[in-house]
Amino acid sequence: MPVIELSLSGRPKSARVVGIDLGTTNSLVAYMSDNGPAVIRDESGDGLVPSIVYYDQQQDRLLVGEEAGARLITEPRKAIYSVKRFMGKGSGDVQEDLSLVPFEIAPDSEKVIGFKMGDRVFTPPEVSAFILRDLKRRASQFFGEEVSQAVITVPAYFNDAQRQATKDAGHLAGLEVLRIVNEPTAASLAYGIDNKDEALVAVYDLGGGTFDISILKLKDGIFEVLSTNGDTHLGGDDLDNRIITMLINELERGAAKGISSDAALFQTIRKAVIKAKHDLSEHESSLIEINLGESGVYRNELTRDQFEALISDLVERTLGPCKQALKDAKLSPEQIDEVVMVGGSTRIPLVRARIKELFKREPHLELNPDEVVALGAAIQADVLGGGRRDLLLLDVTPLSLGIETMGGVVAKIINRNSTIPASAAEMFTTWVDNQTGIDVHVLQGERELVEDCRSLAKFTLKGIPPQPAGLPRIEVRFVIDANGILTVSARDLRTGQQHSIEVKPSYGLSDEQIERMLIDSFEFAEEDIRKRQLIEARNEAETIMRAAEKAIADYSEGLIDDAERAGILDALDDLRRALGGDDHQLIREKMNALDAASHHLAEMIMDGALVAALKDRKASEVAEG
Amino acid sequence: MTETAIKTQNDSPGACLYCGVQSTGTHFCSECKKILPIGEGPDHFSFFGLPRKLRIDESELEKLFYALSRQFHPDYFMSASEPERQASMDRSSMLNDAYRTLRDRIARVTYLLTLEGYKEAEKKAPPDLLEEVFELNMQIEELKAAKKMGDEDEVDEARQGLEEALAGLREKLSAIDQKLLALFEDWDSALDRSAAIDEKKPLLNRMSELLSHRSYVRHLVTSIQEEL
Repeated sequence: MPVIELSLSGRPKSARVVGIDLGTTNSLVAYMSDNGPAVIRDESGDGLVPSIVYYDQQQDRLLVGEEAGARLITEPRKAIYSVKRFMGKGSGDVQEDLSLVPFEIAPDSEKVIGFKMGDRVFTPPEVSAFILRDLKRRASQFFGEEVSQAVITVPAYFNDAQRQATKDAGHLAGLEVLRIVNEPTAASLAYGIDNKDEALVAVYDLGGGTFDISILKLKDGIFEVLSTNGDTHLGGDDLDNRIITMLINELERGAAKGISSDAALFQTIRKAVIKAKHDLSEHESSLIEINLGESGVYRNELTRDQFEALISDLVERTLGPCKQALKDAKLSPEQIDEVVMVGGSTRIPLVRARIKELFKREPHLELNPDEVVALGAAIQADVLGGGRRDLLLLDVTPLSLGIETMGGVVAKIINRNSTIPASAAEMFTTWVDNQTGIDVHVLQGERELVEDCRSLAKFTLKGIPPQPAGLPRIEVRFVIDANGILTVSARDLRTGQQHSIEVKPSYGLSDEQIERMLIDSFEFAEEDIRKRQLIEARNEAETIMRAAEKAIADYSEGLIDDAERAGILDALDDLRRALGGDDHQLIREKMNALDAASHHLAEMIMDGALVAALKDRKASEVAEG
Repeated sequence: MTETAIKTQNDSPGACLYCGVQSTGTHFCSECKKILPIGEGPDHFSFFGLPRKLRIDESELEKLFYALSRQFHPDYFMSASEPERQASMDRSSMLNDAYRTLRDRIARVTYLLTLEGYKEAEKKAPPDLLEEVFELNMQIEELKAAKKMGDEDEVDEARQGLEEALAGLREKLSAIDQKLLALFEDWDSALDRSAAIDEKKPLLNRMSELLSHRSYVRHLVTSIQEEL
């Protein structure tokens, strides 16, 4: 017999790749629908998942999103937010941030920050992985099948370590990260689909924690990034902190002394400040109300003028990178055809005004600035999944790559704004006779000296056969891939032999650490699954019980005998008892037993209903005929 | 940052890695159409299929770049075999490197000179500039001194002098560029005529010298700009 294969979606469903915007404040997941990119929403229509993770060790509870956010005020030390600011950083990089968040940092945090929660320590990639897993679950539920491949966006100005940390997070969440895409580039994809043949576009992306500017040339479906610049430490959080600091100073002077160490109150203030900030995008002033408990209620009217005065230098700080990006692209502001605004902070009127002033044109605001990056990621996911070939992103590396040379000077080998993939080959040799190893130090940044650049990694070329100094010729190839992540390889030019490299990343997790975490996160996942299975079984059991009770009460008279009736009641009791425990398998077992006991009754009821329905239909057919 | 291994290619030269047939394709196997490993690198000109000419129509080059990007980019090799993915990555990065070099006329001529066996052009003052350079260094020192003293008038005066000198240097730069462009034309026509090496050599020498001058003047311009 011939087998006819039915293809419903046009290509294998397993190739479903989603686009994820892993944001500082909110995260979301999108996919390519038949009508274009679309955000995957929950039952209430919400697409944004607050990037907040809550962990309670005693109860062994892990919550993500709204539920975690709800606990920021009640249990501030058990919830982590704005984790993106800590990705790929060591404790030395983030002292200022740490003073503004109530997180407890583990002692050994120089290379990777560890957040202490109870006895456990979570690194930023792990915390991000919890958020990603939530999005993955959301997408899997939406499609009714496991989603395992994703495109994840990062700020364009993220360095190698920050990109790698994001990729690690995806890996920990059980996602194959097909590509790390720059946020402004993704946004341009979402905007650029129906655009004219050729355009120069500036994407201004001011998010919760980071700022990017990218200049692109759009031509025949090619999105060529000409230059990018930014500040990975400038965003809505910094604006909030300005108001928070002002309020705390004011409160300290007045009624409530010592409040800055009160984590719960800090969160209350933060929440009120964010609300006021949002209000001020629509209104000229906003009333800030903070419940101080015993000290009463603090009220303060914040006007838009006051707010703008507090943040104007921060907004100003975004203009320098804009000008540098234009200069690198060899363009003047007047030559830009379109300006696209991305990120929640671009809702602020002052930001819009300054950008309009700089580029002398109205910026685009048509797409929701919170969703546009995820939509673009979904388009890129579709390209990578093999869905379309008409679009091509040509992105650049935001920072120059260099190696340490004599005297602590950095020699650039790949310049910033080089189209990726990009590569460079460097020749190394020995300084003394019979030297068998050469140390190489790789850095990222624009400055001349090693101490002013970001150390990426140190590695040693080992196993060089003993020879007179200067004779060995080892070629090291540095490749920045399409994710903006560096890979290194080496070979001995005299022998053609590949060389062993022992890479010590300056920041970030080692492979062994990731393996260990993978196991940890799987254990967590199993616990989560068991909890979910229990909840689902309980819900189903309750529905079945209600139906059975109703059937007994309404219909059992005359349809079944007493013995059958007693059997159903017994099964009901058994199930009720099982519901008291937390064994979802036992609940399922008793559900099946009740189903079996009440099967006959259900059939009788159905027959009765069918007969009644048939009678009705005949009557109506007769009437029509 | 991660590490990868470079594959050693020990197959017989010209035989396709995938189908074993002697391939005549440049980037893709003429037989099985798969993307070929890059091997011992072609130069940037031949990678684009261009002769080593110096006058290049930038919009034509862009068109070529986009067309080849569409053929090589790793985005389109996500589900291909490992060697194909590596080849796509290598060809893309070489394409990007070649485009970066050839689109800029100074990078282009510098690259041509390397191909023709010239060393990187060292900074060398143009002979007609030697006297001015002495003068300029004096002016820079004066500005530095005036800044140190905090004498506004002196600073303004020194600054004005340097601004004028800067304008002169910029003229000099564009004069050098004009001479270079003229040589580009000579070089291209020499190639068209398949001229002998002793006809081409003087052109290359002259270009190399002009690049040295150019690099010197540019360095001077930057250091004056920094001081201003």
